[in-house]
Order: sequence, then C-alpha cells, then structure tokens
Amino acid sequence: MSFHPRMEYAPAKFHKSERTLAEQGGDFKYTPENQAKFDENVTHYPPEQRKSAILFALYLAQGQQGYLTAAAMQHVAQQIGCTAAEVEDVVTYYTMFYRTPVGKYVINVCRTLSCALLGAERVTEELSAALGIKPGETDPTGTFTLVEVECLGACDRAPVVMVNDEWHERLAPEQSAKLIADIRTKGAAAFTGCHLNKEAQQGAGARGTGDRGKGDRT
Amino acid sequence: MDTVTLTIDGRPITVQKGKTVLQAALEAGISVPYYCYHPGISIDGSCRVCVVKIEKMPKLQTSCSTTCTDGMVVMTRDPEVVEARAGVFEFLLVNHPLDCPVCDKGGECPLQDFSYTFGPAESRMDFPRRVFDGEGVKADVDFGPTLMLNRNRCILCTRCVRFMKEIDADAQINIVDRGYGSEIATFQEQGVHTLISGNLMDVCPVGAITTRDYRFKSRPWDNPGVVDTICTLCSKGCNTSAWLKAKPEWARGSRLIRMTPRFNPDVNNYWMCDIGRFDYHWVEGETRLRRPMMRRGTALEPAAWHDVEPRLRDRIQEVVTADPTAVRFLVSAHASNEELFVVKQLVEGLLGADGIKAVSMTWTRSEKPQPAGTKFKVPATDAPNVNGARDLGYDVGQGNDGLPDLTALRTAVEGGRVKAVYVIDPGPQGSIGDVSWLIEARRNGTLPLLIVQGVVTTPLTDAADFVLPGAAYVEKDALYTNDQGRVQAASSAIAPPGEALEDWQILVNVARALGLTLPYTSSSDVRRALAAAMPGGPYADADKIGFAQPLPASSWLQASNPSERWKWDFFFQDLPPVKGHSVQTEGSAQALFIPLKPVG
Ligand code: SF4
Ligand code: SF4
Ligand code: FES
Ligand code: FES
Repeated sequence: MSFHPRMEYAPAKFHKSERTLAEQGGDFKYTPENQAKFDENVTHYPPEQRKSAILFALYLAQGQQGYLTAAAMQHVAQQIGCTAAEVEDVVTYYTMFYRTPVGKYVINVCRTLSCALLGAERVTEELSAALGIKPGETDPTGTFTLVEVECLGACDRAPVVMVNDEWHERLAPEQSAKLIADIRTKGAAAFTGCHLNKEAQQGAGARGTGDRGKGDRT
Repeated sequence: MDTVTLTIDGRPITVQKGKTVLQAALEAGISVPYYCYHPGISIDGSCRVCVVKIEKMPKLQTSCSTTCTDGMVVMTRDPEVVEARAGVFEFLLVNHPLDCPVCDKGGECPLQDFSYTFGPAESRMDFPRRVFDGEGVKADVDFGPTLMLNRNRCILCTRCVRFMKEIDADAQINIVDRGYGSEIATFQEQGVHTLISGNLMDVCPVGAITTRDYRFKSRPWDNPGVVDTICTLCSKGCNTSAWLKAKPEWARGSRLIRMTPRFNPDVNNYWMCDIGRFDYHWVEGETRLRRPMMRRGTALEPAAWHDVEPRLRDRIQEVVTADPTAVRFLVSAHASNEELFVVKQLVEGLLGADGIKAVSMTWTRSEKPQPAGTKFKVPATDAPNVNGARDLGYDVGQGNDGLPDLTALRTAVEGGRVKAVYVIDPGPQGSIGDVSWLIEARRNGTLPLLIVQGVVTTPLTDAADFVLPGAAYVEKDALYTNDQGRVQAASSAIAPPGEALEDWQILVNVARALGLTLPYTSSSDVRRALAAAMPGGPYADADKIGFAQPLPASSWLQASNPSERWKWDFFFQDLPPVKGHSVQTEGSAQALFIPLKPVG
C-alpha cells in the first residue's frame, strides 16, 4: 500500500518477526443466540464505553468455538467498535483466553506464592507425569490441557488448581494423579469447588474470620 | 492566567496552573528524565524514571503525573530519589541490549543519555537477556511499509501505542502478552499502515522503531547542519527541520538526509506526515534539472544561461508583438509568494495592467486515506501556496477547497489561439496536474512555443522549447501562505544544483532580457517590495521574517525532537563531557548539566 504516488515503500515482508500468531481461522460470526447475548450485554455499559463489554464478547466467542482465532478477534473488534490490535492486546493478556484449541478440561495450576510454598511446582510435575504432557500442552486425546497460571485468589486453600471454571482446593501433590483419574470417571463432580460456597449452602456462619476454614483442615 | 508557585530543588518556580511537576522542572531547566511522558500525547505514568520526592507525600511520586500545587516542595536530587531512579534504570537495562554503537538511535537516544546521567554505573543482573525475534540484525523486523521494529530495544513506554490511538485514531499498535513477556506488536504482525507513521520514530525514545528511510544512513554527529524550514508538499505547511549530512563537495550521495517535524502548536503540533518526511529524495535525485536547455531542431540541448536568454527574448517578443493575448502563463501553486510577486510584475510589464489575467494557477488535489478521527489531518490540496496566489490577486477559483479550472486555457491552446505558454513549476513531478493536453498541443504544433521553468525532468520539460532549471523548496528562502492563511518561511538548506537558479532570479533575468527592469538582487529585496505593496495584511512584515532561525522555543518541551536538537546545538560548541554517575549527588553539580534550552 502506498499513500503517495511518488513514495516508494520497501517490500513489507523483508525481515519477519518470530512472534507466534493466532491462526487466522475460517469466517467467524456469533451464532444468533450469542449475538443476542452480546447485544444484551452491551446495554449494561454507557454507549461511549461499549469497549467495556470486551471480556464478555471474547468469552462468547471462545465459548462458541473453543478458542480464539484471528477471525474471531476481528469479529469481536467489529462488534465492540475497536481495532483488532486492541482485542489481541486483551486476548494475549489473559491466561483464560486460548489462541489454540484446548482440551475438554483445562487444568490451571496456580504457581504464585502461597501455592508455590505448599508445593505447586510438584503439583505441576505430578499432573504433567500423569497426563504425559508439559505445561502449555494438550494431550493427544484432546481431553486435558495443562497450564500454569498466577494467583487464582484462593490462597488460603493452597495449592489450588482451577479446572475450567471450577476450583479444586488443597490439591496435595500426591493426590494429583488421583484427581486426573477422578475427572476421567466422575467429570466435574471430581472437584472440591469453593469451600465458601459449600459453607454458604450449609448455612454455617463460617464467613467470620475466627473459625474460617478451621473445620476442614485435615 | 492562573499560576501556581512551587519549589523545585530549592528554587521557587512559577508555572501555569495545571502543569505537572515534570513540565515545571523542564521549563525551569532542571533535568528530570522521562520516557513514557511525551508532551504531545496523554500521560501514562508507566516508566517510573521521573520519580521525585515531594514534601508531605508518603512515597516518591512520578513527576509526569503529579500536578503542581501552590507551596509544593519538590526534590529531584535527594539521595532517596537518586537511588530509586538508578534502580529504575537498572531494571530498564536488564533486557535492553547494550550495543549503542550499532543502534540507529545511538547518539540521539534518551535512554542512552539518561542512563549515563542517572543510571547506576553497573548492573547486578548478569543472567542472559530476554530476546524476542533473534539477536543482532535478526531482531530488526518489519513494522509496516515505512518502519522497522526491534523489540529487544523496546522499553515498553507505550508512547507508540498512545500515538496511534490518540493522534492517528487507529490503534494499530498494541502490547501482546503480559509482564516479562510483553512486546509491542501489531495485529497478526500486519505492521503499521498510516500516513503519519514516521512520527513513531520520533516518539520512540529508544532505537526500537526506526524508519526504513533513515535507518543506518547517517549518525547524529554526521548531521551537523539542521535547517529549520517548512514542508511545502501540501497546503498545511508543517514546520520542519531539514537535516544535512556533512560530506565533502565531491563525495557522492545526497546531503539532505531526513526531515523531522518542528513543534508549532498552531500548525502541525509535534507531527508531520510521511509524504513530507520521506518525499524529499527527488530534490537531489537523478531527474533534477541542472542546466538550462534549448531546443535545436528536434533535440533539447544543454545551453548556457547567456545563450538561452536572448533566444528566449526573441521568441517571446515575436509572439507579443504579433498579439499580446497569445502569451499565457501556467503557474504551479508550488511557486512562493516572492515568485508570484515577480511573475505579476513581469506579466504586467509585458502585457499591460491586467496582464495577470494571462496567468492560470494550477495544483493537484488528493483526498488522503486517514481514519475519520485523526488529530493530524493531511489536507487534500497538494500545493503550499494556493492562498498566497489568491492574496496576490491570481484567480484560484474555489482555492484550497477545489481544483484549478484550466478549461479556458486548454480551449484556447487547443484552438490555436495561444502562441506561447510559459510554465513555472517548482514542485515535484506530477504536482502540476494533468498537462498531457499541453504536451500534445506542443507536439502537434498547435502551440508553437513552450517554455518550462521547473526543477525535475518531466514529459512537459521533454516537450519544451526552453527548459529553465529552478530551485526546489529547500534551496531557497521563500514565503508560502498555508491553508490557514499563515505566511511561513521555508529556508534555503542546500544550494540549487548545477546551474539552476532561484526562481525569482530566473524571472528577473527573463524580465531584464525583455527590457523590463525589476530592481531585485536578492529574495529579500523581493520580500521588501512585497511588504511595501501589501501593507496592513499578513504580508506587511514579509521583509522581517527570519530564515533558518530556530523558533524562539523557551524550553526543551517546545522543540519537537526533544532528544535531538538541543544536544547537537551544544555538541558543536565543544562543551566538556558531562556524563558520569557521581555528578548528580553533588550539590554544586548543577552547572555541569547541560541546560535544557535550545540555543537562539
Ligand atoms: S517501541 Fe518505542 S515507543 Fe513503542 S513502547 Fe517500545 S520504546 Fe516505547
Ligand atoms: S501534512 Fe502537508 S505540509 Fe505537513 S508534512 Fe505532510 S505534506 Fe508536508
Ligand atoms: S497463590 Fe495460589 S491462589 Fe493465590
Ligand atoms: S515519565 Fe513519568 S512515569 Fe514515565
């Protein structure tokens, strides 16, 4: 592309960057249901801050095809009214957006301080061994993806892993292989979930600071 | 004007309300380093090198994002600040390659300068550097058609990101990944595509973004000559600096080495477009006209001025004596006010009081592809002086907003009623618009005499009977009136090539040959006459306009290339070197710092 008849631009493909790019992917468009959800969600924000809906818009797109292709980012950009570069900025920032296909269960192992002190590194190693993949990889059957992430916000129950949208608290390294086996047999029922949710369900006044979590320190 | 008074390093300083501590310090000539701050774009506060200590504030503050308040007491050389700042520099250089000698920014790099001045003497980080696209030359990757990017050098100040978002209004640059892995990128590595991409080289405080046009062509210390001028490639009239490479007369290669914008808040702010920045090669290019030429039979042959002039006189007089209405002038709006003023006197002398009716003005127009919200709009009119022509009484039709109307001239030429056309075209190739009809008329003999005063070889000069080599916009002191009606000065940075002359001079010579005495021996004579002829308006002070003088910038902030100009002004005064870590802690060291004011 040249902006001016007399300007000669050097060929743009001269030295290529080694950056890993998202795959372009086929045409992407929200399904009518997702489009409806998106249209509803943007109404939560003032029109001039339409961009605020970006995370929701990306989750919709990721939900629709499992991961985000360049075409999906372009679609989101157009929906939100920003540039594709701004969308890529957000997508690459968050570990929960995937730019390659992921397994049915994405296991996010927290590696931040509390978890690290209580053996998160070993959890990763054990999971890695049980699944036969390295962090960042997906197993050949497309069932599991193993990822290392930063603090999951459940430091008091370290080490924590998050599988898809569900927490699994206090995952001792020794139990890691068992967790995989449990997931294979029980699916989502294998996760402990958040202890606070459980306590809330049991109606216990467990949110007080004093005895918080005491009961399940086994 | 509301002001606030604060104390910085014990000096009471009064600034306009709303200014930041950093701005106040810089205006007072107190050196505080900064990277993410750029006066032309929004404040980010991300690089942290501008930290200062402010009394009553619990922690060190980033001066770029702290607004001055009355009675504030700021310290920029407190040991605590010095240490924190050195720490930031140590981090900035953790991954930055320390190979300034092979970096294109070396010598005019704020990272280099500030690190020497404020950074620690040594780094404690001895692990390998993070490398993005490879080391050495492999690290320089494509960043669109005009730029290259070296991510290893990037310090993630996000100036480029903000420039694209705020000034270009098309956020093409982003930061991908996070934390330690963050890198500057464009979507899918498509690169930056914008008409104002060259400014990214100026805003980038390190050698991460470089222009393909300038990179590794020269070093700052090879460019001692910098001439403040204006761009004349469209009607905006951006204030610019023309950089000249030092080289012996006989050495090959061009002297004009780059164009950079010069701050003018009323015209171009800190920016200029890629057309003005990169389209200067024709000035010293192969196609430049260097000698007068004259047609002998079918061939156009070089001739000396003193041979051309009498022949030209004979041919013109022949036509004028037969029918004065058969002489026409076609003048490009690239002609300066001086030239237009002389042309007017020439035609009036030659053809009588309404001789100006024989002159048609011409220019081209092209809508530039730019995002709707851009803060830097490049005008459609590709000529600098349509307004000047109007002010001087030429017929420019709708002027800046429209195209010239040459139909009357064309009909007259094609109908054989015109016997001589004198074209004045000091603009680059093509800037005169479509003249194929004129070339055709000369070729088929409908038009018996075609005189072209121009700067580059074009199909029009090929068809001409006389070719008179003139001067391009960087080769003469001249005034142009931009689309706002502002009269601005373009300065002579280099001499016209070969036997080419400044255009006013050619016109005066032609007039003299024709028996008209125009009493000018320099372009300033013309400006004096112009000022006298047009009192009371924007031209009244035409004779007092200074050329090639730095704008009276009162601070570093006002120089467009903050990292560049001021330093070289000093460099060539042989100041003692001022680099070194220890000076900053010494109370008396103030005098050793380069004052941050441009000279002049
Ligand atoms: S490329 Fe230059 S301007 Fe852009 S973030 Fe990096 S250092 Fe700053
Ligand atoms: S906007 Fe016009 S005056 Fe400014 S640099 Fe571009 S061509 Fe030159
Ligand atoms: S450190 Fe692991 S959840 Fe916070
Ligand atoms: S200049 Fe103040 S934080 Fe960057």
